[in-house]
Amino acid sequence: MTTSNLYRKEKIYGFLFILAPLLGLIIFTLYPMLYSIYGSLTDWDGLGQMSFIGLSNFTDLFTDELFHKAVFNTLFMMLGIPIGITLALLLALGLNRGARGTTTFRVIYYVPVISSLAAVSIMWNWAYNGDYGLVNQFLDLFGISGPNWMANKYTVKPALIIMAVWKGLGYTMLLYLAALQSVSRTYYEAAELDGANGFQSFRHITWPMVRPVTFFIVVTNIIGGSQIFTEMNIMTPTGGPEYASASVVFYIWQKAFGSFQMGYASAMAVVLGAFIFVVTLIQFRMNEKSSFDVD
Amino acid sequence: MLKKKGWFTLLSLILTVSVVLAGCGGNNNNAAKSNTGNTGTTENTATKTDDSKETKELTFMYRGGTDEQAAYKKVVEKFEADHPNVKVKIIVTAADQYATKLKASITGKSIPDVFYFESGDLKAYVNSGVLLDLNSYIEANKDINLDNIWKYGVDLYRYDGTMAGQGNIYGMPKDVGPFALGYNKTMFEKAGIPLPDKDKPYTWDEFVKVAQQLTVDTTGDGKPDQYGTGFNVQWALQAFVWSNGADWIDSTKTKVTIDDPKFAEALQYMADLQNKYKVTPSTEQAQTLDTYQRWMKGEMAFFPVGPWDMSTYETLPFDYDLIPYPAGSTGKSATWTGSLGIGASAKTKYPEEAVALIDYLTASKEGMEALVKAKVQIPNLIDMATEWAADTSTKPANKEEFLQIVNDYGRVLPGHYTYNAEWYNLFFTDIQPVIDGKVTAADYVKSEQPKMQKLLDKAIEQEEKSKK
Repeated sequence: MTTSNLYRKEKIYGFLFILAPLLGLIIFTLYPMLYSIYGSLTDWDGLGQMSFIGLSNFTDLFTDELFHKAVFNTLFMMLGIPIGITLALLLALGLNRGARGTTTFRVIYYVPVISSLAAVSIMWNWAYNGDYGLVNQFLDLFGISGPNWMANKYTVKPALIIMAVWKGLGYTMLLYLAALQSVSRTYYEAAELDGANGFQSFRHITWPMVRPVTFFIVVTNIIGGSQIFTEMNIMTPTGGPEYASASVVFYIWQKAFGSFQMGYASAMAVVLGAFIFVVTLIQFRMNEKSSFDVD
Repeated sequence: MLKKKGWFTLLSLILTVSVVLAGCGGNNNNAAKSNTGNTGTTENTATKTDDSKETKELTFMYRGGTDEQAAYKKVVEKFEADHPNVKVKIIVTAADQYATKLKASITGKSIPDVFYFESGDLKAYVNSGVLLDLNSYIEANKDINLDNIWKYGVDLYRYDGTMAGQGNIYGMPKDVGPFALGYNKTMFEKAGIPLPDKDKPYTWDEFVKVAQQLTVDTTGDGKPDQYGTGFNVQWALQAFVWSNGADWIDSTKTKVTIDDPKFAEALQYMADLQNKYKVTPSTEQAQTLDTYQRWMKGEMAFFPVGPWDMSTYETLPFDYDLIPYPAGSTGKSATWTGSLGIGASAKTKYPEEAVALIDYLTASKEGMEALVKAKVQIPNLIDMATEWAADTSTKPANKEEFLQIVNDYGRVLPGHYTYNAEWYNLFFTDIQPVIDGKVTAADYVKSEQPKMQKLLDKAIEQEEKSKK
């Protein structure tokens, strides 16, 4: 007898402990994922009929103008990521100085994060209203007559970006704030002794030190941004003027649940999944290469 | 930004929903099966108490605004009271989530026993064996008198395997929704303009003239504060296209016909209302919501009115009434009539009970009275509707117009006849430049027709496959 009874029992218990999440993963993630990969090779209508048609769903994607538009829109709206990161970092730097009212500001910036996305979308839809909207009324104070944000194909995407940045700002800011607070004072003191100015200590201490957080934010935001859906579903239920605000997931949803083309929708989902996977992989590689230790 | 595994979530959602729904349906006892012939009737109190031991559970999935949800819930409770051996489990969603939820439950193979569905989805659901053929049940059910229900409404849910609109019945209309034209009576009277005739539609020229007279700058800031009208192209263009003798699709439902010059003429007329005649707020000034608000504030002379608007419009600060839409070159008014169907699952354990519930909701006097009282719809029953329309003491006085639309000149939206409505939706996806006056209607229909045709061809191909 090499293993004791207790040890063997422990193994079983251990296995039982991971069983629940593992089953969850298999049933709710792995199985649907494999099923949708299979579905992407068929002409499945989501109701019953499902026959194998090879890769023709994928080749159709090359000539599908609406799909190209949706991809473009999705990528365009990711412009919000660098904007959000810059603003959040600036805010975090400001709040990190420990001025009075820091907690209040933290709460103010965090409120949108915990608000329901659907409610926020409805609220912003009103704010963007061309006639009575808060945004245009505000612009009016400066004598600018604002556009009808959601009905104009040039303004609808920027409008969505502004909203997404506003919604995500608090979360990103909080992450940065935590990262900034964990940077040891000694580095700054040493830099000061060496005569570094504010910008230099930011450039050579702060920025590298919060790098893992930046990396995390970029990765999660790209993953999230690729799947943006709720905002346009609520604010522009038909995909916006000339499909200018439709995202890839929005198009997938329309095809799957509106037009009985579950197979085609699955093909797009597979492409989107592969895209996210590859981008994330590249980012991880880049991060490994350029990471360094201060010690 | 989201941090979710979006499409995983989407797919797992399907599974979750299906698991949940499967859980709901599994609780019926076997004894109930032997008793299916004995329901849908209320006459015998003795059997009532006997049956109550063997509960038959139906799931009913529907949607609606809060008022409507409450109204339907009440009717379902009444149904349960009349049918003590039937228990109805209600699944209700907001309107915009309904389609996704229903399709997920179908994909997950746990279809609710009774459910709402779009008339446009009829073919797909019949071809894939989702919907129960109600024909024999309806014939056997003496409570249902098809002659007393709008033919238009019932025909929407007929399908003979090739063409929708004829053949066996796969659903009953929950209601019919005629999209009428309303006008602000008070505004006309103030301006001293003769009221529109409720039986003789305006010509397009007359309509523009009246609308121009009623577009006025009351505050003197150079911008009109009162407009002739403000149509949403997606819901109002049909009236102009059809009354001009054109359509989106030909009679075989295989060819997109928007390149017809008469079609372009109608579309151009609608764009001109904004850009040339300037009787509507410009795009910068208005989204749909705003024209709706303007109408409610009494700043708009003409605006569409559906039966579902009646409860809200009761409190309008002005008097309004209904008239036919202005007529194009055919000289006849046209508009669309919407409808939502209630059908039963082909796999339901209790088809009789399911049909009894459908009957109660769509064709019974008791059910219909409760729903009409809640002001969420016009009556499905013709005799009841006639009586309802004859009462001119409530607003709008000319309720008769609603019935004329249903009976006479209302049509179904073009997407109804095809396997899916993608081709039709594309028309409105790309239309903004025409409305803004940047592209002429003639150019637009020419460039859009092939794109729409391509999608229609695909839908036809899909339909062929689904028949196998």
